[in-house]
Amino acid sequence: MLAVRALLLSAALFVVAPLAAWLALAFGPDPVALQAAQPLRELERDYEGSASCEACHPAQHASWARTFHATMTQLPRGAAVLGKFDGQPVAFYGRSATPFERDGEFWMRLPDARGEREARVALCVGSNRYQQYFELAGAALGDTYVRLPLLWHVGEQRWMHLNGVFLEPDNPDWSVHASSWNDNCVFCHNTAPVPRLALSSEAVPSKSFDTTVAELGIACEACHGPGERHVARMASPVERYRAHLDDAPSSDIVHPAKVGQMESLAVCGQCHSQRLPEPLERITEFLEQGASFRPGSALAGHVRPITRDTPPIDAHNGRIFSDRFWRDGSARLSAYEYLGVTQSPCMQSSAFTCGSCHVMHSGDVHGNIEPDKRGDAACTQCHEDIARDPRAHTHHDPARSGSRCLECHMPRMVYGILDIHRSHRIEVPDPKRDIEAGRPNACTSCHLDRGAAWAAESMRAWWGERFAAPSSRPDGAPLELADSIASLHSGDAVLRAVYAKQLGRADAALGARQKAFAVSNLIVALGDGYPSIRGIARRSLRALDAELGLGLAAELEGFDVFSSVDERRTRLLALLKRAQQALRSRSDAARPETLLDANLALDLERVTQLLNLQSDHVISIGE
Amino acid sequence: MSDPSTRKALRTGWILLAISLPLGVTLEALHGFKVRGYLESEVRREMWRLAHAHGTLLGILLLVFAALAERHVAERSRAAVSRDLRVGAILLPLGFFAGGVLEQGGDPSLGIALVPLGALFLLLALVRAARALA
Repeated sequence: MLAVRALLLSAALFVVAPLAAWLALAFGPDPVALQAAQPLRELERDYEGSASCEACHPAQHASWARTFHATMTQLPRGAAVLGKFDGQPVAFYGRSATPFERDGEFWMRLPDARGEREARVALCVGSNRYQQYFELAGAALGDTYVRLPLLWHVGEQRWMHLNGVFLEPDNPDWSVHASSWNDNCVFCHNTAPVPRLALSSEAVPSKSFDTTVAELGIACEACHGPGERHVARMASPVERYRAHLDDAPSSDIVHPAKVGQMESLAVCGQCHSQRLPEPLERITEFLEQGASFRPGSALAGHVRPITRDTPPIDAHNGRIFSDRFWRDGSARLSAYEYLGVTQSPCMQSSAFTCGSCHVMHSGDVHGNIEPDKRGDAACTQCHEDIARDPRAHTHHDPARSGSRCLECHMPRMVYGILDIHRSHRIEVPDPKRDIEAGRPNACTSCHLDRGAAWAAESMRAWWGERFAAPSSRPDGAPLELADSIASLHSGDAVLRAVYAKQLGRADAALGARQKAFAVSNLIVALGDGYPSIRGIARRSLRALDAELGLGLAAELEGFDVFSSVDERRTRLLALLKRAQQALRSRSDAARPETLLDANLALDLERVTQLLNLQSDHVISIGE
Repeated sequence: MSDPSTRKALRTGWILLAISLPLGVTLEALHGFKVRGYLESEVRREMWRLAHAHGTLLGILLLVFAALAERHVAERSRAAVSRDLRVGAILLPLGFFAGGVLEQGGDPSLGIALVPLGALFLLLALVRAARALA
């Protein structure tokens, strides 16, 4: 009898802990529900959220969590907010705004038609180069998040006006970029967004949103597909160990390296490719239910990447798409990387995908490039023969930038987020093709004091007759001028931006005493009609000033790219005078094609002639 | 083993082990079957692991005390040391478990307050035992 009692007592004790744990899990707060209760999140579809992935893939979760993809869109809480909301007013175009904190929330005091209003930050977008802020519009518009006019530039640690970071001319209208998040940013900056657009049927139609996302930011399921079935199946230890022993790709989750080439490219291309629904009539479906693409598919049948030949959809702007490309069809804006890769011989003749160079789970988060594929290694993983004797291929010193694969085959000629990025169309530089297409050329992007004819002659001497000299430039600037200078002054906005950046590069094929022309011409670019180009020119000048020791730091610091035309002109002329004095003792005689005379003075008359060649077609390409 | 206080320590030690060891098996099962309510809360996981570890180790400590007390702890202090040890050994794992039951946001629930209380009793038992040895 005693033994039976002891046995029963032991059994009762043994079930205390499991029972308590079960009661706690069944009736205590559910962490999954707490996550889902966050604004905008909805986990009722076939998505699970990245926290589910962490349980089995902690290393992958951690390596993803440190990327800028993870923090692409965030609620304005604590460290997520990068801007300085310190109550100090910041002025642009004669008006000022004040970012400030109140009761742990982030606000902006903004000018409006009635004088002033306060806007509470409800969403932060971006975390790498700059961060934009959104407020929740009035109840009548549903959950519509509207962009606020100031953004925080992470690199420069300062507030900027949106009108100064997109590639467009000065515009004093503070509200021109007050677009909604729900039908724009939401698609590429979140996981599985559903905009849920609702159009009212009133006399004056209006739109509202009830947007949800599986997860804010670009999380696991954006690339690996919805995980509900996978998570449910892998809850069984038997299934997990079976999967460990079987190398075959799982049928319920996507591994971008274990699908076909086009499907793998599409994982990145679903966002790194500006695109339209296919067919276009599905736009309403996308705005209501979200895009139909899921990882594991090709883009075809869901979306169609925009190319130079895509017919315009805006009756008022026939060049809305063509302006985004150089005349040879290469992209000149960021977020067209998919197009660039698919235009490349590397992709067309091999199994090349984004994953051939990029990785999400290791290495430097800037660029997400495999650590062992930085620089030349990205190319020499296939082109081993060139790696064995680089000089035979490049005809340049193997130690210099002229022998770096990317400098010639992926030159910087893409504008995006206030910087110039590498083209993802991997190709052979061709001065005739490039100059006649009005686009940057890899040779003259490094040999900044040389013209296109010189570049073509060098290519012909090394590679044969197929490299002919260009016959003219689309902007009409003389071919005998240095290509960088003609492009900086006469090119269209993107070309000017590219060379405003290139003229400041430290690794150009120029000695320090040969860079006087770059300084003088860049000072002229401080007067450009586009504030973003002025900003890039100012950054390049600061780099050159540091490299050459010109002592212009204070003047450049004080040059406000948002100041009035008159103020800019006054400061620019003073800066030019100071620079010429400083350059005299630090420079060799300049080449005449760089617009400097024997005394290193800038030929302002010729500069003016070049500036007059700028097309009056306003390029206004938001991002 | 004639001292009632050592018998109580012995009984409590076995009971603690009888509860804490199955708790370990339970946690293993929650991992094995990827139960999200457990895995997706870092605080809950941490608290319940601590409850399992403290319950088991303190259970063993009580058994050791029961085995050695009559020979090494003076009789006048034995009952007090036993009581403090038993209270501390129960409160500490109970506090950790309760801390993970009602976890809110990033913090354990108020049940965690039992942990410092239990630690106080254990320290008191240690001091009493040291004095009794001296």
